[in-house]
Amino acid sequence: MTKDNNSFRGGSKYILDDELAKVVNVSIALEMPLLLKGEPGTGKTMLAHAIAESLKMPLIVLNVKSSMKLVDALYQYDTLTRLNDSRFGDSKRDVSNIEEYIRMGKIGQAFVSDLRTVLLIDEIDKADSDFQDDMLDVLDQMQFDIIEVDKTITARNRPVIIITSNAKKDLSDPFLGRCNFHHIAFPDTGTMRLIVGVHFPNLSRDLSEACIEAFYRLRDFKGIEKKPATRELINWIRALKTDPDMHIKSLSRGNAPYLGILFKKSADLAAATQQSARLR
Amino acid sequence: MFIEFFYALRERGLSVSPTSFLRLQKALSLGMIQSVDDFYTTARAILVKSERYFDMYDQVFAHFFRGVALKAPDEIELTEIVRALLEEWLKNPEQIAEALGLDASELKKMTPEELIQYFLDRLKDQTEAHHGGNRWIGTGGTSPVGRSGYHPGGMRVGGQSRNKSAVKVAMERRYKDYSQEGPLTEVQMGEALKRLRRMIPSGPKDIVNVDKTIYETMRNAGEIEIIFDRRLSDRLKIILMIDNGGWSMDPYVEVVQTLFHYARSQFKDLKIYYFHNTIYSRVWQDAERRYKPEPIDDFIRKDPETRLIIVGDASMAPYELMHTNGSIYIDEVELGTGIERLKFLAKTFRHSVWLNPQREDEWHHTFTVGMIWRVFPMFELTLDGLEKAVQHLRVRH
Repeated sequence: MTKDNNSFRGGSKYILDDELAKVVNVSIALEMPLLLKGEPGTGKTMLAHAIAESLKMPLIVLNVKSSMKLVDALYQYDTLTRLNDSRFGDSKRDVSNIEEYIRMGKIGQAFVSDLRTVLLIDEIDKADSDFQDDMLDVLDQMQFDIIEVDKTITARNRPVIIITSNAKKDLSDPFLGRCNFHHIAFPDTGTMRLIVGVHFPNLSRDLSEACIEAFYRLRDFKGIEKKPATRELINWIRALKTDPDMHIKSLSRGNAPYLGILFKKSADLAAATQQSARLR
Repeated sequence: MFIEFFYALRERGLSVSPTSFLRLQKALSLGMIQSVDDFYTTARAILVKSERYFDMYDQVFAHFFRGVALKAPDEIELTEIVRALLEEWLKNPEQIAEALGLDASELKKMTPEELIQYFLDRLKDQTEAHHGGNRWIGTGGTSPVGRSGYHPGGMRVGGQSRNKSAVKVAMERRYKDYSQEGPLTEVQMGEALKRLRRMIPSGPKDIVNVDKTIYETMRNAGEIEIIFDRRLSDRLKIILMIDNGGWSMDPYVEVVQTLFHYARSQFKDLKIYYFHNTIYSRVWQDAERRYKPEPIDDFIRKDPETRLIIVGDASMAPYELMHTNGSIYIDEVELGTGIERLKFLAKTFRHSVWLNPQREDEWHHTFTVGMIWRVFPMFELTLDGLEKAVQHLRVRH
């Protein structure tokens, strides 16, 4: 998956808490990768976007996949194109020069970039532990070899590295030893108020209070497998805003419409509907 | 600095490595830390690598930084940390070099004595430069680094400030839920079980096999011949047998349910059966153990590569396991003992484990646990045990 490196969707809408800001600054100063964990929807990925935006550095995103090999993240030797060129010879590339067929992967791009970049390695837990350890070796030494052309790529600028993980399970010890670690907790009501504030600057105070209060009440329901996160709250408020029949009073009385936006699993939705009916 | 704190953490069982401690020193020397709040956050990010230990860290921090007067690290403590440092140095010279801000080649030239001296000097530097002798943490804003802007840019603090001292925050124990004593959740189980997946090519041939393509093209005298392969996907078969009867399993209903839910949503080829206490001639596909029985003897026809996971406390009266007619249900006339059935299953499925929700140290108190233990590899139904079980199931025999 490729993302436009210059688009920071909602980057300026990121609410950074004090603790996290310190951790980020220390990690940059110590030149260490920062490992972020936390519930889905706590803005782990958004943080990298926000850093890139505020430091005015380009952002490079490496979305880790389970089948990924480390070399895919470093570079790719485009054999098929070379084969094609050698067969038909209708391109301007020099077939005998292998270097013309080496394409940089995301880590490679971060290394050869003229500017210092923010390198986001998203969902590292998807890959196996060999990938994780090998990758940290590369990031530690800030260089890797391209075997095909016998060339070593050394980072021109040490990128700011942010690694995210959804896993509740721990990563390997050598891996952890080389990272700083931060766990993003689910935002409390105060922070949530700010988050809602940046997303809906024109939202009336009463409505946002009522929504947030209702949201945290709904989150506390028992037997919910996937609790609604920030993203769900934002979408929910958006839905409530468009509904002309919505009244703040009915919301604070425990009457919550559009539960389907908050609860995405059918079992969760059933449980939530049942429990919210009981509240009324 | 903070050597006592370092040891307090280690004493509580937090595996804080000397390297990371040195990194903390480096952060201190860079002037990144200007208040106890800063120290709380930074030290945690550098020293503690899992939210499961955050609670423990909070406790140590709160205990340690509440009304503690500064004491200069005395000789014995220094010797201790120096020893730890040297051990780490032997293992991993590059990391130490980096943490000390030295070149690896410079470090190699140093004798251990010189290294220690260098380290101690650095500690002294910091005490003087940043901590004004008698204070834990320097507060003077002389440093170029800090909240006001680490170049280039630094992170601007956009959120709210906590308005609470770090000690108070630590005392709130916000991370209690994440600590290791917390219950096994579905997500954790998922992470453990995910490793069980076995990728096998299946489906349409839509992936280009580059190596084969090149080979075949060469064989074809340069005429391009593209070879396609099947995609890899998970084809693992799993049989899950759950002991769902009897009061002895009652305390574990929740954790078994979690396992059940996760397994059902994750594995494509999963069969779930139920039994009570031990397996006799049949198991049931319905939880009431009434409508859909399946004879154990039929299991021999199933794929022997299937992974068999049995969940139960393995606790019962010994005769249930040993007697030829041991079933506690009158209508189940049995041929062969319970334990023989289990042996049969263990032989049919080479990859099998028994997950026991009881704690391992309790296993010895029950006779039948030992019996079954000898037939099936038995693991605790905890995060740790689950991981070991998965490891066992992955091994190719």
